[in-house]
Amino acid sequence: MEPLLRLSLRQLASRSRLLLILLLAALPVALTALISNVEGKFSNSEFINHILDGLLIAGILPIVTMVLATSAFGNEMEDRTLSYLVLKPVRRWLIVLPKLLASIIVGGLVLIASGVIATRLGASSIVGATVLVLDGSLQAALAVGVALFAGVVTYTAIFTWAGLVSTRAIAFALIYVFLWEGLISTFFGGVRYLSVRGYTLAILHGMDDETFAPLKDRVIEFPAALVGAAVITTVFFWLTVRHLRRMDVP
Amino acid sequence: MTPAGLDSEITAMEPTIDVRSVSKWFGNVVAVNDVSLQVCPGITGLLGPNGAGKTTLLHMIAGLAKTSDGEVRVLDEPVRDNPKLYRRIGFMSEHESVYGFLSGREFVELSARLYGLTPLSLPVERAIGLVGLTDVQERPLATYSRGMRQRMRLAAALVHDPEVLLLDEPLNGTDPRQRIEFQDLMRRLAGEGRTILISSHILEEVEALAGSILLMVSGKLAASGDFHAIRAKLDERPYKVRIVASDPRSMAAALVRLDAVDSISVDTDGALVVISSNVYALQRSVPRLAQEQHIRLLGMEPLDESLESVFSYLVER
Repeated sequence: MEPLLRLSLRQLASRSRLLLILLLAALPVALTALISNVEGKFSNSEFINHILDGLLIAGILPIVTMVLATSAFGNEMEDRTLSYLVLKPVRRWLIVLPKLLASIIVGGLVLIASGVIATRLGASSIVGATVLVLDGSLQAALAVGVALFAGVVTYTAIFTWAGLVSTRAIAFALIYVFLWEGLISTFFGGVRYLSVRGYTLAILHGMDDETFAPLKDRVIEFPAALVGAAVITTVFFWLTVRHLRRMDVP
Repeated sequence: MTPAGLDSEITAMEPTIDVRSVSKWFGNVVAVNDVSLQVCPGITGLLGPNGAGKTTLLHMIAGLAKTSDGEVRVLDEPVRDNPKLYRRIGFMSEHESVYGFLSGREFVELSARLYGLTPLSLPVERAIGLVGLTDVQERPLATYSRGMRQRMRLAAALVHDPEVLLLDEPLNGTDPRQRIEFQDLMRRLAGEGRTILISSHILEEVEALAGSILLMVSGKLAASGDFHAIRAKLDERPYKVRIVASDPRSMAAALVRLDAVDSISVDTDGALVVISSNVYALQRSVPRLAQEQHIRLLGMEPLDESLESVFSYLVER
């Protein structure tokens, strides 16, 4: 698996792609720093709803994972190099796993760093932050890190599959993120049980319900989020392996 | 089918590739239509015009594409969804894309690692040496010429010393010297008992290599067997030759007396269109006739030399 992981990491780490995701990941940090310096303080719920949820979890997290995961197989399909991998005595799940891991490593590192730094910065500028900074910001940052990791893993599983089954994976990913998670889940609460954003927010709240109390009314149960993320990841991993076994490789 | 030129002992060998009533369709388009064939050790050419279904058939033999109907077995095992069989098969696709950021050596090493070879250095150096790229092996593949990339891809397909080698248009982009080296290498590998199936749309390319051919036209196996027997059939077929002369009428009158000429017509430009079953005799006779009749011969060109017309002729038979 190690040679394929190294190959996948090198494929993903193209200069333009890295630049794009680094710029995106820098946005929450830059915005938090800007608001802290210009406006002085902002409320806990403003930071959570606008920076963490609105910008990072609902926007940048799916976009960054989409950029990485859809190209994990998408690029190989497009330039027809996939045959170099599938015509080897390597079981299909051992081809899919390193592709998945590479996207998780690159996307996870960048997004978790962005979330954790933004949270630490935000916590220090939240109104009445003394308690939060001294006692809670570390736990909050940990919760952000774990929740983002779960989000990265789950989105990566879905978008890796999409990149393999469709040449229009990015369109699929955008529809999923902005229509299903952004619009439909706003009107139908039950959709949050089938939403990666819903899982991410629920894990965030479940790990630190005091700091992330403003999310209380719109998150599903913590265990349901953990199980949901695990099931979706497993199902899409399995679907990807199954498709790779059955497909005609160009 | 057994490649020509092999002795009777090899002829008696079990086929290493067994294609049984295989079809492949994409929606309403039939790419391969009920093809059955067997390939034994030696070099076999898979020949056909572009769009004949060669690549689709080769992909099914390699297990890259599933069959819509029928079965493919390689080395007596089903090839599809059987990854461990790839320890014994080498494949080189017609697509020339590579991981441009890898050096040539890294590319071959990647193959070797995925084939599970240990230690790596010996087979990797041997494979790169076989294709003659040792001097440039550390350069990124993105900087290689088309021919060099082809050869490094061949090295990656050979690194695990496969028993069966499937090559799709392997000579694309190579120069004449590289072609000769490639042919020598293939003969050497075949001489060691390997089965080599080479797909090509260039008749002469296959002629130089394969004693035995599989001829595909429009998704069907049009002919198979000894190359020379099939080539003889090609030579018997009537050819159309266009002759431009200063006095077409006198030239036609002289030509009609030749045994080699089946019929003559005049095209819209006033040139003669001659149909001949013995084009070589015609080629020899025309300049002599023109000289005898004091006619200036302005041009002489074959009208249906394309591989497609050759294949069409064979299929019609």
